Amino acid sequence: MKRNRFESWLQNIYHTQEEEISCTECFDLVSSFVDLELSGENPAAKMPQVVQHLQQCAACREEYETLHDLRRFEDEGGALSLKDLQDLIP
Amino acid sequence: MPATRTNQEWYHDLTAGGESQEAAIADLRNILLRAALYFFSRNLSDFWGLSRDEILQQAEDCAQDALIAVMNHLSDFRGDSKFSTWAYKFAINIALMAARRERWKGVSIDELSDPEEDAFSEWVMRDKPDSISPEQSAMQEELRSVIRNVIDHDLTDKQRQVLRLMVFNEVPMDEVVRHMGTNRNSVYKLLHDARLKIKSGLQSRGFEVGETLALFGAAG
Repeated sequence: MKRNRFESWLQNIYHTQEEEISCTECFDLVSSFVDLELSGENPAAKMPQVVQHLQQCAACREEYETLHDLRRFEDEGGALSLKDLQDLIP
Repeated sequence: MPATRTNQEWYHDLTAGGESQEAAIADLRNILLRAALYFFSRNLSDFWGLSRDEILQQAEDCAQDALIAVMNHLSDFRGDSKFSTWAYKFAINIALMAARRERWKGVSIDELSDPEEDAFSEWVMRDKPDSISPEQSAMQEELRSVIRNVIDHDLTDKQRQVLRLMVFNEVPMDEVVRHMGTNRNSVYKLLHDARLKIKSGLQSRGFEVGETLALFGAAG
């Protein structure tokens, strides 16, 4: 069953820690987090504070997901040219 | 396609001066534009009503802003990721802010901030399940009452305002940041402190994590 927004928020409340990293700290760490993840390592074990922040912060999570997908796409040989990307804009 | 340089080569070329630097800056701008376009292509609904040329121009503007940000932060690059991954995040960050600004440009955030509006109840009722037992319903009502009590009596005005905007009205963080004239870290801290107070209020009334989430059918 799809979790509704109130349930998701309740989860966020219960998963709140006394100390959480800031958006700036997450931004500093997210590029090495993504590269570790794409190299097959387990960044969550090394940087649990990033995982915790990404669960709580929708803006940082969206940036992480975009960065992850873009880099993974390139790693898989799917890098698009500028023209290809411009053509995705209708 | 991304220019193929090692991290050291990127750093060297971007700080070298002369033709090497010019070429590296042109390549960097290209990869930043790719990241902005990639983000925009995933979020086209944010640009509803804009022409293709206007969207492409916004991507160019984001790439330019990201280029300035990357050059300003070049000394912060520690080499613990690929340079391109590190640079991409600046473009994605700026593209996300531009996209959300475009989506919310006609919306009055002042109205959504109105403390007289019962945003919490409206938000909760939007997703209320149709069929639950009377016992579940009573427990859920009690839980909502505890949360409302904490919001009304224990939060600061700013914590309440951020909660109302970001959670109950789903305003993106960067729009709240712009509205309040602050930064992401401050808004995140307000939201974090509000969450901590609500968590503490729930636990002090006996709502432990497992049973509370089970009450709503969510796994812990």
